Amino acid sequence: MKSIKILALLLGIGLIFSCEDRLDVVPEDQVASNTVFNSLATINGAVVGIYSKNQSGDLNGMAQLMGDFMADDVNFVGSFPSLQEIDEFQTLATNTSIDNIWLDGYELIGAANNVIENLPPVTDITGLDEATKAQFVAEAKFLRAVTYLKLVNLFAQPYQVAQGSNLGVPLVLQPFEGGDISAFQQERSSVNEVHAQVEQDLLEAIPDLPAENGVRAESGAAMALLARLYLYREQWSQAADMANQVIGSGNYALAGSYDFYDDNPGSSEHIFVVVNTPTDGPQEAAGSDEVYVNFYNPAPGGRGDAPFSQDLLDAFAAEPGDLRFTTLSQAASDAGGNDTFFTLKYPDVVNNASDGMVLRITEMYLIRAEANLRGGTTIGATPLADINLLRDRAGLGPLGTVDLDAILNERRKELCFEGHRRMDLLRNNRNLRPGGGPESEPGANKVIFPIVEDETTNNPNITQNPGNF
Amino acid sequence: MKYKNLLCCLAAFLTLFQLQAQEQKTISGTITDQDDIPLPGVNILVDGTDRGTQSDFDGNYQIAAAEGDVLVYSYLGQQTVRRTVGASDVIDVTLQEDAQALEEVVVIGYGNQEERKIIQNVGIVKEEAIENLQVTSADQLLQGQSAGTQIVNSSGVLGSASVIRVRGVNSINSGSQPLIVIDGVPITDTETNTLQRGGNTGVNPLSYVNPNDIASLTVLKDAGATSIYGSRGANGVILITTKKGRKNQQATVTLDVSTQYTRATDVPEILSADEFRRFKSEVASIQQGTEVTPEDLGLGAIGSGGTDWLGGVQRTGISQRYNLGIRGGTENTTYFIGLDFQDAEGFIIGNDQQRAGARINLETEVSEWLTAGMNLGITNNRLNRVGVENNTFAPFTTAFLQSPVVEAFDNEGNFAQSGSFIPNIFAIVALDTDELKTFRTIGNFYAEIKPFRNLTYRAEFGVDKLELEEFLRSAEFNTPGGVAQQINVAEDRWLTNQTLTYANTFGESHNLTALVGLNYEETLNTRTNVSATGFLSDDLRNLGSGSTPTVLNGDRNPNRLYGLFSRVSYDYAGKYLVEGSIRRDGSSRFGANNRYGYFWSAAAGWVLSSENFMEDATWLDYLSLRASIGTVGNDRLGSFPSLGLFNAGAIADYNGESGVIPNQPENPDLKWEESETIDVGFKSALFGGRLNLNVSYFKKTTSDLLLNQVLPPQTGFATISRNIGEMENSGWEFELSTVNVRTEDFEWRTNLNLATIDNQVLRLNEDAATDPQGRRIIDGPIQRAIEGESLNNFYLIRYVGVNPQTGDAEWLDADGNITTPPGTDDRVVTGSPLPDFSGGITNTFRFFDFDLSVLMNYSYGNDIVIDGLRFADGNDAIGGIVNIRRQNLNFWREPGDNAYLPSPTSPTFNLFNQRSSQQQLDGSYLRLKNITLGYNLPQRALDQIGNIFSGVRFYFTGTNLFTIKGDELEGIDPEVTDDIDPLFQGESFFTAPQSKSYLFGARLQF
Repeated sequence: MKSIKILALLLGIGLIFSCEDRLDVVPEDQVASNTVFNSLATINGAVVGIYSKNQSGDLNGMAQLMGDFMADDVNFVGSFPSLQEIDEFQTLATNTSIDNIWLDGYELIGAANNVIENLPPVTDITGLDEATKAQFVAEAKFLRAVTYLKLVNLFAQPYQVAQGSNLGVPLVLQPFEGGDISAFQQERSSVNEVHAQVEQDLLEAIPDLPAENGVRAESGAAMALLARLYLYREQWSQAADMANQVIGSGNYALAGSYDFYDDNPGSSEHIFVVVNTPTDGPQEAAGSDEVYVNFYNPAPGGRGDAPFSQDLLDAFAAEPGDLRFTTLSQAASDAGGNDTFFTLKYPDVVNNASDGMVLRITEMYLIRAEANLRGGTTIGATPLADINLLRDRAGLGPLGTVDLDAILNERRKELCFEGHRRMDLLRNNRNLRPGGGPESEPGANKVIFPIVEDETTNNPNITQNPGNF
Repeated sequence: MKYKNLLCCLAAFLTLFQLQAQEQKTISGTITDQDDIPLPGVNILVDGTDRGTQSDFDGNYQIAAAEGDVLVYSYLGQQTVRRTVGASDVIDVTLQEDAQALEEVVVIGYGNQEERKIIQNVGIVKEEAIENLQVTSADQLLQGQSAGTQIVNSSGVLGSASVIRVRGVNSINSGSQPLIVIDGVPITDTETNTLQRGGNTGVNPLSYVNPNDIASLTVLKDAGATSIYGSRGANGVILITTKKGRKNQQATVTLDVSTQYTRATDVPEILSADEFRRFKSEVASIQQGTEVTPEDLGLGAIGSGGTDWLGGVQRTGISQRYNLGIRGGTENTTYFIGLDFQDAEGFIIGNDQQRAGARINLETEVSEWLTAGMNLGITNNRLNRVGVENNTFAPFTTAFLQSPVVEAFDNEGNFAQSGSFIPNIFAIVALDTDELKTFRTIGNFYAEIKPFRNLTYRAEFGVDKLELEEFLRSAEFNTPGGVAQQINVAEDRWLTNQTLTYANTFGESHNLTALVGLNYEETLNTRTNVSATGFLSDDLRNLGSGSTPTVLNGDRNPNRLYGLFSRVSYDYAGKYLVEGSIRRDGSSRFGANNRYGYFWSAAAGWVLSSENFMEDATWLDYLSLRASIGTVGNDRLGSFPSLGLFNAGAIADYNGESGVIPNQPENPDLKWEESETIDVGFKSALFGGRLNLNVSYFKKTTSDLLLNQVLPPQTGFATISRNIGEMENSGWEFELSTVNVRTEDFEWRTNLNLATIDNQVLRLNEDAATDPQGRRIIDGPIQRAIEGESLNNFYLIRYVGVNPQTGDAEWLDADGNITTPPGTDDRVVTGSPLPDFSGGITNTFRFFDFDLSVLMNYSYGNDIVIDGLRFADGNDAIGGIVNIRRQNLNFWREPGDNAYLPSPTSPTFNLFNQRSSQQQLDGSYLRLKNITLGYNLPQRALDQIGNIFSGVRFYFTGTNLFTIKGDELEGIDPEVTDDIDPLFQGESFFTAPQSKSYLFGARLQF
């Protein structure tokens, strides 16, 4: 009898010993790394993931906004001390807004490196032919090039300061897969080396990218970015030629009106655009959210931190009736309660999901015009013809002649709030502020960002930019 | 599978029903006290078994026992008596008063222990210490009551979680809150289930148990006590036991009704609209060298109106509370029924809570060898949430920042847009919905079987089921197009504990208790988070009416835990005690290679006062020495910390295509954090229980500390988790309780506790960031952990003040020289958020029918950083649009001024409010946490009203009535915590202050 009771007891407990098997639980919300290159769907997903990273509010949003705060197109009326520092050219290495650009940049580069390095050896995947593989790698290279060019523009003095021999950003071309980190503590490459890598990535990507690829990277996008790189490097004939090829490709055309700023990624205007939708905005696990809508719009809906500067208002006022002002601005009060104007280029205050402008055909005309003017060439068209084309769309009469100032003025009015102005001033050796002092002069220490503290504290090989960071 | 197990266990119970009773007879008798007055409710236990009864109202009892059995008679406040059953069937007993009261049985991990025999280090909060405390949440019952248990209320915001630390911070990146066990059910962490509302506003897990239902709390502190909880014990364990009925006791009904009035403790003085206008125009005039009027600055003319935002977001919150408890018991069954309803209003507009709770605790003796019971508590809660801290939707933050010249209403009395990103908070509170509804069931069923003498088998099946729904709806006025968001969370835990206990006495004095057991838990957390935009009208409140719905999250997070454990205690004549425990835990959170961990403890104690050579020391009632050593773990590392993972979902998708993105690098060697604790101490009672002093010292070394090692950004990952760190906490704990005066009509008791904690980071990862001295660090914007020093140190630029001669603000550079302006390299250690010592003092007085209890808590030597002062001080924060504190009016005007703010023309004027020790304040305080004055109607008054009531009590409770703190804390509450995260202790942006409350109530018993 007693032994039965003991047995029964042990049975009750013993059965639960089988619980051990039940500890094998797998994640349901994520996929393990070793399964990513197992199917066409997940491989495509890994490429889509890079585009998604490019959508980050720090890479497409904050980077442009902060450039605008340094330059003369917008007023800073905000509350973020980290942005105020930038506006006042007092940026410190601890600046968290800058930090996120650097971190997100290298996260994107890591995700791209993962595809560029790990996809080519993959074979025997149903539906994955060599051309598709090459296209995926080319897309990753394009996005890597976009990002390196963005980082080098922000964190290094432009080419003009020392003909590119100055320090750029570290070039990382391998993905991190756990283990040793020393390969990821690299010294900065020179601006020329970074530019060379960008050029190489784009040249390699051009033949492998399709001419039509929806909102994903097309060969025209790689060529357009290359045109921008050559312009920034003052390689005039190559810049004009590349821009001319994009214009001549027939894949893109100036839009009839300025209706391409939101929710119209299919517009012929766009060469490459960051598509934000209500269900897929620039959200991130940490860091900033939608930047364009929040900062460039007044309250309610936006924060009202980045209205037109007086200087830009004056520029538009010089030639009244410019459709780029009349149709693309609204009067409202800014975060400081002052009556002013805000851009309408990022209008989706309801869903916080306006698209980010990256490359559009208008920029190609402007590049062609500037490069032809500076190089004394007329590749494709004369600078005057290109500029008048844009003025015509803006409802302005044609000019009789153009000089560099006229081109830059047109460029400014066309591309304002799209993150171009700071580089346009710096590379043309103009002060970032009208009547600005030495702190905003080209080559000044704080017209570029410091290498962020996350990098300097975790990488003994890094060199900080000069200036009291 | 699970059900199969259950069925088999039930089958096992059924088999056991066939047991036979031993040959026993019925013993009866009467129990009286030293004055021959019959004692009802005395516990009578057959020694070595859990078989027992209680005496009835006339002190009579009956119990079945065999000859040779020892009967143990115990009663609170009386000395325990042991009698051996002989030939006689009648045993009458007289119990003598026992001043020591150390005979009580207290709850420990998976069992009970006589208090005098405890050699674990546990903090005990007994029913009598808390029965008259009127609090809204159970964590407040622990505040100031137990040495080494630090509770920091996050704010006066209703429903928000406190930061609870048992012996300091024992982890850096994993959870640091203790494990909370309610009636044997370890409850799930709930803090991440709700939307972040800024700061530490996670929902308080202890708001799901009605404080009036709680009988006692035990805080397990040393490894001797916690290692039985294995991989979850490292942060300490809080055992909550709810009230039970007593056998043979008529039902007593207790009804509490109270009303509470709540205000903010303290708020900073900020500028009125006209002060703001004058300040701005004066500063601008000085800066521009010409008269600048407020109108020039767009601030409107002096006297042209404005808004008292800070006044507008505050109110007197009025709360009602009803609580009903019924407890009693028959010969075989005891019961407790609790009902609770609370309708609370916070002192911040928009912050309300309605909580209803019910509890049934039932236990019945089915037969001599089978006892079964159930504890079940359900809570339904509806909370209107408000934001706090660095959040523009937080009333208390926004009211500080919003410019006082901004009008809240237009001429027609409609809400006006603020015109800046700082919204019209009145409109937000009035028009938007922010509601959190929760329903939680925590309970267990248990059966105790005594198949043989001395052996007890206990099976528990527990459940913790949380259903949570959070709904937000922002109106057109505040968010164009409107937005709705709904989050549904289900967090379900199912668990079983099975223990087998053997207790016996060998020979005269060899007492042995052995326990083996198992614990299996399954937890599944699911979460759906959906939002929608594009609403036609504010009247369409529901999510489905929006034009653009978005699924933000759809998560499923499973985890499982399986533990086997054992504990053996032995004592010789209650004089020499040893105890050891071991637990083996397996967790699904870890990879197959590191799935199991072993945790152990060993303890020894010596009750000196029981030695013959101490007999002469009649002043000494009790003295014991104790020491323990052991290990415990911390498994709060997330669900799959060791796998290399790619994220999917919106974060990886692009333009409607699904994507994946690298999220976590692979980390196969990851395992739990492990702490080893050494604890020594003594416990004493002197002078007939007039003085009790307990002292302990501990040293807790946490190794394999999980550090989020910051990766070089070039890797494309922010961090990787590695078991690399080592940290040590050591400290002293003192508990002194005295009976200062004890006469028939007047009694005064004092309890004082004090704890010190010394924290030191022993090791950080080899490739951690280093400072210029080469020490490894974890750096944050305000704090920096440095190897060899405390985990928490404020690391800031030192602010000196405004130079009276030059009017410049001055800082110190790293070398201690005056500088303007400083750089980030000038940061040094400027203070610590960890107190030198902290604790509580309770004084209780009884004077005739009045009683008064005064609970104070204190913290000394800690600093706090109020980061929001960067905005509330100075002229230019946020482009100068925000309001500022009144001391800013004192700016430098001429040489000799001792000013708060630099000269408006100084280049440091706009640098003044940059992050520095200027925002660091001395956080020491002594606070009157709770004062309760009660009056019990005397017996003759009860007689006069016809004996309808067996007791009537009127009481007043005041909370946070006053606080002694430094002058610089004027308007700032010293109890701050921005975050539950160990690396952010003592920081706040703008914590809403604690609430100061006045509560009036009555308790009727019948």
